[in-house]
Amino acid sequence: MSEENTSQSEQPTESRNMSRRRFLRILGIGGGALAVGVAVAFPTIRREAQLAINSGFSSLAPGAQMPESPWVWIRIDPDNSTHLYLPKSEMGQGIHTTIAQIAAEDLDLDWETIQTYHADTDTGFADFTSFTFGSASTISLYHPVREIAATLRYMLLTEAAQQWNVSVDTLETRSSMVYQRADNSQILTYGEIVANHQGEWSLPETTPSLKPNADFQYIGRPIQRVDFHEKVTGRAIYGLDARVEGMRYGAVARPPRYGAELTNATVGDAESQPGVVTVVIQDGFAGVVAETRAQAHTALTHLNLTWEGGTTWSQDDLEATMFVPDTGGTLVQRAGNFASLTDEYAVFESEYFVPMASHAHLEPQSALVDVREDSAIVYCSTQAPNDTRAFVARALGLNNDAVNVHRTYIGGGFGRKLGIPVAVEAARLSQASGFPVHVGWTREEEMRYGFHRPPSRQRLQAILSDNRQLQGLHHQIASGDIMFGSPNVPAPDVLAALLGADPLALTRIEYGIPNILVRYYRKDLPIPTGSWRGLGTLPNTFSVESFIDELAHRTDIDPLEMRLNHLSDNEFGQRQRAVLEAVADVANWGNPPQGHAYGLALGHLGTTVVALIADVSTQDTRFTVHRIWCAVDAGLVVNPDGARAQVEGTIVMALGSCLREELTIQDGMMVASNFGQYPLPTIRDTPEIEVIFVESSDEPIGGLGEAVIGVVAPAIGNAIFVTSGQRLRRLPFQLA
Amino acid sequence: MELQINGQMYNVDVPEDERLLWVIRDTIGLTGTKFGCGIGICGSCVVHIDGQPTRSCITPATSAEDTDITTIEGLASVDADGQEILHPIQQAFIDEQVPQCSWCMSGQMMTAAAFIDANPNPTTDDIITAMSANYCRCGCYKRIKAGVARAAELNQERES
Repeated sequence: MSEENTSQSEQPTESRNMSRRRFLRILGIGGGALAVGVAVAFPTIRREAQLAINSGFSSLAPGAQMPESPWVWIRIDPDNSTHLYLPKSEMGQGIHTTIAQIAAEDLDLDWETIQTYHADTDTGFADFTSFTFGSASTISLYHPVREIAATLRYMLLTEAAQQWNVSVDTLETRSSMVYQRADNSQILTYGEIVANHQGEWSLPETTPSLKPNADFQYIGRPIQRVDFHEKVTGRAIYGLDARVEGMRYGAVARPPRYGAELTNATVGDAESQPGVVTVVIQDGFAGVVAETRAQAHTALTHLNLTWEGGTTWSQDDLEATMFVPDTGGTLVQRAGNFASLTDEYAVFESEYFVPMASHAHLEPQSALVDVREDSAIVYCSTQAPNDTRAFVARALGLNNDAVNVHRTYIGGGFGRKLGIPVAVEAARLSQASGFPVHVGWTREEEMRYGFHRPPSRQRLQAILSDNRQLQGLHHQIASGDIMFGSPNVPAPDVLAALLGADPLALTRIEYGIPNILVRYYRKDLPIPTGSWRGLGTLPNTFSVESFIDELAHRTDIDPLEMRLNHLSDNEFGQRQRAVLEAVADVANWGNPPQGHAYGLALGHLGTTVVALIADVSTQDTRFTVHRIWCAVDAGLVVNPDGARAQVEGTIVMALGSCLREELTIQDGMMVASNFGQYPLPTIRDTPEIEVIFVESSDEPIGGLGEAVIGVVAPAIGNAIFVTSGQRLRRLPFQLA
Repeated sequence: MELQINGQMYNVDVPEDERLLWVIRDTIGLTGTKFGCGIGICGSCVVHIDGQPTRSCITPATSAEDTDITTIEGLASVDADGQEILHPIQQAFIDEQVPQCSWCMSGQMMTAAAFIDANPNPTTDDIITAMSANYCRCGCYKRIKAGVARAAELNQERES
């Protein structure tokens, strides 16, 4: 931490949100440690702050109980260490580092004293707070964590003033210690203050003022990730790595076709196979517990299983179903009256298709569950620990309170690590066998079961006036389910009937066009589909931004001009203009290298806006992406290097969808079962990538984990059109 | 069966056809070596057998008897004061902030460590060729390239 002193107002001022004051309360008294927590609703509609002062923390911190545990909490121990218990899963996005930076800022922590942990469900999680989803972690936690850190700092200051018998105004904080401004040798570490404390802690009446941005020492700095040392040394524990004494390994029988039901099952000679501990056959479920994973999987093949029903679909059936109807659908967005225009002007129309894809996170679904008489412990790499707890509890006939979910590091999530089926499988096998059971899916299970990116076919119609200005845009989206396909959503069919359009399709045209009509068509497919990085952002942005480019070329307008000409005259439009101009400037738009072409796309996810330029060349039927420039405005960036990593990685993942990633179905089952039939992008495919952050706000206003997923394909496709003359409207791109 | 891993002998009783990966991870409990595909494509499971990068998910454990196996846990060294000294590839991957989720990174680092050992002055093309059979779904390839180049430099600095 910097040696610079901080100069914050020591007097609490009125919080922006006084209503939350009533939630402040003292929950305990003790001399051991000081902990303050804050509860965060999702999104930050409701905020509650709770103070907990508790002497009963054990060294095994996750087992330590706060009387009523808040969602994020910060604990300072007498040895001056600071412990952050975090409600978000670390799955590569660097969220533990980000939250630590935010907490360290307003608490003036010594960075070296900080330890971060995944909080478990026993330390208090509810609803969406613990759900790591939608690129929302930083924006939902930024203010609550800063406020609780400032509160804790103020309490330490006032306590130090009492211990020294001096005025709090004479004290300052730095690097996890309080010192006297007049005599810098007079120092109390935070740990000493906590250890010396007698009696009750008292809360400030209001939230102390937060540090001004100009004084930031952690926020906005490219601080190294807190989790990398244990990761590069192989010590970090993920779901597939979870181990307890006496554990066994489980495997579960899978249907040959989607929707097939297990109508008859007998043990066969599975029980006599080497290493088999228990064979479990119960209501539509068959599994084996064995001494090793391989033995469990081998024994599965010795069960006598009868599967009935299910889909016999092949890819032709899927593609025939994925048409865009001319009428009907659910209205998603409307401005003006598109239908009234069609008699006056010519209509341009195009259709686009994005196929199913695999998440292909490299750590497969995995959970270790230890079912005891009246309780269960779950270790799982999950984005949704609270849902995992509820589903496991239901499967075991326990109350939620009897199940504690310990989150591990996640080896890639991308929307697929909801953690539920695998945890339920391990729970059932543990309950039946009496052993703690670990289930880790194979790659074949990953590629075929669970759920996938839904297929999407989209039609766009445009009406341009004589001055080449877009008068109307009609966007029709036919998609497999995202939210409605989620195992976490109760009664998805009821929801689908009520809502019509899948809210996670994230459809919204953000151009200032006077007449806009967006309609959604739910395709109820016999194939499980669900959340995939960015949800509907990839297919929607691919379609809209390819189409805008087609219109630019048809009307002989530069694609950058075309977009600038159609921005709304509001703050969002200004932010779009800023990223467009930033990326055009850095890429030197209009001047691609000899033999190459540039393609451009503009995109958004929630409040984050992005613009991307791809430098592409084509040779025969091959295309090469040489460079990518991406400008991003998510407001203030807490960790610029971590944010840059997110953008770089998203670009590579989207590149895979352009190059070769596609899941197809035959006879009711995915054709691909491993990377041989579903190759991922490699280091060889990776272009030079340059990322520019346009920070239009002094606080974080948007997420960064998914926002760039949509702009890559249209930018590349638009460049391919320029260099080859071929307009490719289907992913992955295939040049003729 | 006896296996020598990171300089230590392990006497394990495993089925005859068990793959080395699962003996290392499940039987012995060294979980730093990761599983990704089980067919030798993704590279998450790379360990060194007598210094050669080897995909442990398709390697029968029996074939690794009487060899010297190194996993990610054995890559760092310990100095005279008992301090852990990270291998240049580990240090470089921190310096360049290479990983994201890091599931694939043990395999990436084991592959790269053997590569820079054999190629002390690699070109960018050399690095791309050497690392082109290791998947990273988080898409950290730009930084893997930078990290391997940095590790080669660090290696030379340490030797000089």
